Amino acid sequence: MSDYQEYLAEREQIDLLIGEGYQIEHVTENLSGAFVDFKSKKAGDMKQLHIKTADGRKYFSVILINRNR
Amino acid sequence: MADLNTNLAGIKSPNPFWLASAPPTNSGYQVQRAFEAGWGGAVWKTLGDPILNVSSRFAAVSFNGQRVAGFNNIELITDRPLEVNLKEIYETKKKFPNHAIIASLMVEPKQEKWHEIVKRVEDVGIDGLELNFGCPHGMAERGMGSASGQVPELVEKQTYWTKEAAKTPVIVKLTPNITDITVTAESAVRGGADAVSMINTINSLAGVDINTWNTIPHVGGKGAHGGYCGPAVKPIALNMVAECARNPLINVPISGIGGISNWQDAVEFMLMGATGVQICTAAMHHGFRIVEDMIEGLSNYLDEKGLASVNDLVGKSVARYSDWGELDLNYKIVARINKEVCINCNKCHIACEDTSHQCIDMLQDSNGRPYLRVREDDCVGCNLCSIVCPVDGAIDMVELKSDLPPMTWNERQSAIGLLRQRNTVK
Ligand SMILES: Cc1cc2nc3c(=O)[nH]c(=O)nc-3n(C[C@H](O)[C@H](O)[C@H](O)COP(=O)(O)O)c2cc1C
Repeated sequence: MSDYQEYLAEREQIDLLIGEGYQIEHVTENLSGAFVDFKSKKAGDMKQLHIKTADGRKYFSVILINRNR
Repeated sequence: MADLNTNLAGIKSPNPFWLASAPPTNSGYQVQRAFEAGWGGAVWKTLGDPILNVSSRFAAVSFNGQRVAGFNNIELITDRPLEVNLKEIYETKKKFPNHAIIASLMVEPKQEKWHEIVKRVEDVGIDGLELNFGCPHGMAERGMGSASGQVPELVEKQTYWTKEAAKTPVIVKLTPNITDITVTAESAVRGGADAVSMINTINSLAGVDINTWNTIPHVGGKGAHGGYCGPAVKPIALNMVAECARNPLINVPISGIGGISNWQDAVEFMLMGATGVQICTAAMHHGFRIVEDMIEGLSNYLDEKGLASVNDLVGKSVARYSDWGELDLNYKIVARINKEVCINCNKCHIACEDTSHQCIDMLQDSNGRPYLRVREDDCVGCNLCSIVCPVDGAIDMVELKSDLPPMTWNERQSAIGLLRQRNTVK
């Protein structure tokens, strides 16, 4: 899978969680990339995505910034 | 025709092109010929206690047929007595009252030494002073030049001493042989400098002769480090000018020096904040008359841009020079290959495949003819293919509209930081 395809897959996963009402709760970045914790107020549970591509890491950051605005 | 007159901290010149302090400004004969050719100003070869030079002083680096891509020297300051230089400065100024003559000075870091030389050179009617805190060889071993130019306190102190005695504007010429030139530029400003100039030459060894194992140049089998200048140093000099121009504490005019070879280079330095430019290697390579092309080219450029004065260029690109953290991470360009122009040399494919992101495919059309195509989704817009492409217009770097809003690294990090803060508060 090319980087771009991998990014699209990551983006889809992020969009899916956001669509289900999850919000980014916590971001841990380390040598393996970014681990993004999503929390749903409604369901009250947490889900984690491991975002590996550079474009994916840009994408969730945009969502985070938009939420802060 | 646009007005080319400049005024650098009170030093007036009919155009922004000055000869830098170096062999072209060694004598009255040379400076007068330079003014006749059209140079607006000259920074006289550095004055101080006359030195002794070695024979075999220069070396050049040629690259792929381009002669003098870089130039290296182990020459010191003037080897002529001060009186001889002052007499010629006086005569030259009398003949060319409207041209700028700046005396470059270098003495030991002692207050009385600076006071004495400043008084003596100002008596012959120079327009300004330039303190040479940059020469990286020979003089530095004696505590002068870059040796004192690398110590912020000494830059400040010597500038201050000069200003105590000076009636004309004081330019401080900085050494690039330092990690952050803004530190010494700030020191110069604190010392009272009316302007700063940069860059002097960069520590260098031009080469080693692989047959004789001698250094290039060598003096009877021995070499010593020299100072590098010419086209190769331009990007380094331009960055240093820009870093000073965008630093609010360095609020004095800048004289740009380093690898300037034509009017376009001069425009770049002025856009990045230089009020005028100084040139050495290009004059040594091509002679004084290169200034004719520089004046004509600059003049035409200003007319085409509809600018009334060359001063309208100064600093216009400074605000566009920022920190990496302020760049938009979502700005996207990709390479596009023009099949009609491309000669199928495959250099772009090789560069991308071997050393970048493997996104240029070698394909064949329905007639079996080879062509190259960029997979835009995988292209990161690094520019490498267009840099190595030997044919103008064969590869365009085009901007793609991003579906994401602009976002800088700093914005991203503060958003993530905010999240962390919120979680801690909880
Ligand atoms: C042979 C030679 C001698 C130089 N001598 C001096 C000098 O006496 N004083 C000084 O301030 N700079 C001196 N320089 C440095 C130049 O003034 C200038 O800062 C440097 O060459 C960068 O400009 P360029 O790339 O246009 O050559 C000398 C440079 C060369 C090549």
